Amino acid sequence: MKIRRAFWKAEKTELNCREVGRVLQWYLDGDLDQADIPKMQEHLEKCRECGLEAETYESISQSLAARGQLADDDVMDRLRAFTVQLVESNGDIDS
Amino acid sequence: MPDPTTSESTAEDAFSRYVTPELDVLYRVARSITRNPTDAEDLVQDTLIRAYKAIERFDGRYPRAWLLTIMRNAQMNRVRRKRPELLRDPDRTMQRIADTSEDGQGVENIVMHDEFDAAIETSLDNLSERFRSVIDLVDISGLSYQEAADILEVPVGTIMSRLHRARKRIRTDLKAAGITPRKSNE
Repeated sequence: MKIRRAFWKAEKTELNCREVGRVLQWYLDGDLDQADIPKMQEHLEKCRECGLEAETYESISQSLAARGQLADDDVMDRLRAFTVQLVESNGDIDS
Repeated sequence: MPDPTTSESTAEDAFSRYVTPELDVLYRVARSITRNPTDAEDLVQDTLIRAYKAIERFDGRYPRAWLLTIMRNAQMNRVRRKRPELLRDPDRTMQRIADTSEDGQGVENIVMHDEFDAAIETSLDNLSERFRSVIDLVDISGLSYQEAADILEVPVGTIMSRLHRARKRIRTDLKAAGITPRKSNE
């Protein structure tokens, strides 16, 4: 995975909202460099607005991921049966 | 000369080991690509047949990436058969197919659990195809950046950039509609 190095200087002790906003999605996706995570966490705990922003992005991700879990059981059963049939017929099957 | 019984058994084992565990992912990606449940099922079956024919040449590395490549090629062939005139521009082709899906709303209606999900649904519908496809593959289907990049044939950096911009648009739409996350509503 590609890791994003934050653009602020290592000696910087506190981040402002603009800096956090720029890399918030990297942070939430786990793509931010480990060294930069404590500063992000500290800001998100202190700043209500950025904390809410992070919460909103997390909710969006959860809502989107939930759509991926809506696999139709009947379709999956048919595909599994098709797979068995395919193997048993040694590949000689029409879709 | 190889023993045919052994060969069949090897193919069966390899298929069970590498392909069967990826069925869920294959269907989710197919649904993202086709936006149509029936076409998605057909595309997965087509992919499975092609994978079975090629399984003995597969080296066992990165089965998901291998299968997704097969699926992409299968989809290109299906599009070529249906719409030969659109092949020059795959993005446009995908858009046109999405636009003409007749029953693409079926699954979407199921997920409208509440106001938050409904607002996301509306925002998704308004995204352009290049943003929507990345959300479909990464956030909804759960593919890695690299897997999505391979399917869409763009660099990984482009996937990440589009993903962030797409989510930001969804976020902006939610804000404009005055919608807050579920946690805040509860």
